[in-house]
Parts: sequence; structure tokens; C-alpha cells
Amino acid sequence: MSNTLNRRDFIKTTTATTASVATIASGITLTTFAAKANENPVTNEKRWGMLIDTNKLTEANIDGMVNACKNEHGWGSEARSTGDQKSNWIRKLKVKDKATGKVTSLPLMCQHCEEPPCVDVCPTNASMKREDGIVLVDRHLCIGCRYCMMACPYEARSFVHEDLTNQKEDMPRGKGTVESCTLCVHKVDKGETPACVASVNSDAVIFGDLYDPKSNINQTLKKVQSAQIRADLDLNTGVRYSGI
Amino acid sequence: MYRLLVITLSLFASITFAHADIDLHDSSLGDEARAIKAEGKIFHTEGISVIRKMHPELLNHKRDKTLRQGVRTNKDSLKGCVNCHANKDEKTNQYHSVNDKDQFCSDCHQKTSVSVDCFSCHRTTPGASYKGVK
Repeated sequence: MSNTLNRRDFIKTTTATTASVATIASGITLTTFAAKANENPVTNEKRWGMLIDTNKLTEANIDGMVNACKNEHGWGSEARSTGDQKSNWIRKLKVKDKATGKVTSLPLMCQHCEEPPCVDVCPTNASMKREDGIVLVDRHLCIGCRYCMMACPYEARSFVHEDLTNQKEDMPRGKGTVESCTLCVHKVDKGETPACVASVNSDAVIFGDLYDPKSNINQTLKKVQSAQIRADLDLNTGVRYSGI
Repeated sequence: MYRLLVITLSLFASITFAHADIDLHDSSLGDEARAIKAEGKIFHTEGISVIRKMHPELLNHKRDKTLRQGVRTNKDSLKGCVNCHANKDEKTNQYHSVNDKDQFCSDCHQKTSVSVDCFSCHRTTPGASYKGVK
């Protein structure tokens, strides 16, 4: 056999090698990407939301939701803050229909608007909305001006007034920055549900992807009457209520 | 010529001791990091000097990816740094904060007089999910 390679053989071998490498390599890439969802940035193919049925929620349920949030994120034990200075990520609210006198209790937290006013007013881009609709404060950039607190129609944000220690490992919090409900983003990214939703443990509070036609929240929203709080502001909130 | 040799040698010596100076504080390295080192394994495969010089950039890059894009991998995670480099007090069985005096972070940061801002918000000891030295 001669050692010289003619043109036809060269082309044959190169094509075969390239094709086989391409086949194997594409397989490897696909499996690696499928293995861990957390390695990839979130996309706007999803939008996380919550549906709260106030008729099914008892006051004890709402208190349970507030406590679950406190335990998960470690707020509510600010010793040197008084009154309005205290953090309030989620609170129990009583609303009364003036015409009928019907009183409804509901849990109120960041409504994770599609067009959040807090993001519009932030001068440092610290107040931000993730691609999947979760509204967060990037406290690395927050200068504590509190414009977002003034802009939020739900008064969902709090300001930390004192030095904190022993924070929860998944929820860094610190003096001089604004904070609010994160929709338990650290849990959602792991495929879990937010702490308040888990604490209720019934279909009174449903969490899920608003865009997914197969998700429980999407299907329920199609069937039942639901409302946004301050729907007149046209913010298209991610947290919706039925029974109010 | 002799003078030049002395200068060169003393320069070499100072460089050597400068590095040895950091390595001497093995006690503040952190429980898990010390265990890894004792086994002869290398965690920071990119090189210790890269981590020493570049850790602020790596952490800043990771923080944006995590917070804004939801990328929650263990690589360059501050939680991972704290878990590995925290020292447990043998008497009280409690972890020292990594930014306490003579602990891992402050060991160098004091020397270079660079303040660490991470821990005005972030936790300074391993949290509940940390299972201890493997």
C-alpha cells in the first residue's frame, strides 16, 4: 500500500470523521443542557404567578403564610426598628365592601407586576424584573433611596433600618437597602413552591406558570372569576385573587 | 557586582517570604478547606493565585448571573466560599464568622486594608443546609 493519500480518499476520510464527531458532540451537548435547569438563564417562556382564593382561606391560614415567610427569609425580628420601620414582606389585610359590608381578609405581598412601577422609578437599575416575571431588588446596586417604596401601589416593599446578622443563607438582607417578597425565587429555581404556598397546603393558594396551558393555575384562571388588586393601574399583576 | 547580587537575593527572599506569609496562616483556612488540603486534593483547579487575585471579579460575575438570570450553580458561589472556609470553635462548637479578626477573609483583607462589603448582607457562617466537612 502506498503512503500517499489521493484526493478522493482524503475527502472520504475527512467527511466521515467530521460527520461522526458532529453526531457524538451534538448528543453530548444536548444531554448536558438537559441535566441541570439551573445552569441556564431563566427565559420569558414562563411567567410565575399565584392565585389566592380568599373564600377558601381562613385567617389562621393567612397568619400561617406570614409566619412561613418570616421563617423562610428571616424578617420580622428587627429589634431596634419601630412601627412602620419594621419589614413587612407579606401582611394580612382586611378589605370591606362599603355597599354590602362584606369583610374579606387577604394576604398582600409584592404582586410581581408585568409592568412594575418600582422598576420604572429605580435610578440604579437595582429594582428589576427577571425574564420569568419575578420582581426583585438587586441589593448590590440598591442605594436605599426608597423611590420604589413610594411608587409601589401595594406598599409591598420595606427598608432595612438596622444592622443585621445571622441572615438566612438563601436570603441576604442588610441595612440601607429595600426588600420585598421574592416569590421565594431560590426555591422556585430549584423547582419548589414558595414557602407561603406550601404552608397553606390546599388549593386555596395555587402557584405556577401562568403561560403553561397545562398548569393548574392557568387552567383554574380560565374557569374561575379572578381579579387583580388595583386593576385600574393596568400593571398586569402576577398575583391574582378570587373571591374579592 | 557584589552589591547587585545582594539586592537581587534580598528581592528574591522578600518575594518568597511574602507568599510564605499568607500560607503560614493555615489555622484560618477553614475546616473543609483544611481537610481538602490535607488530602492533597486541589479544589481551585484554576490556581490559588488566580482565586487570590480574581475572586472579587468572579464573585461579581456570579452574583449577577444568579440574581438576574437564576443561574444557581455551585461554581463561584459565595455560600460555597463561606461553607468551606469557616472555622469551628472547638470550645463552643460554633462557627466563627469568616470576616471576624484572624479568620479567613479578614486575614488578607486586614493586611491589604480592603474592606469586605459582602457580609453586611450575606451570612458569615455556614447555614442550616450545610452538612459539615465531608
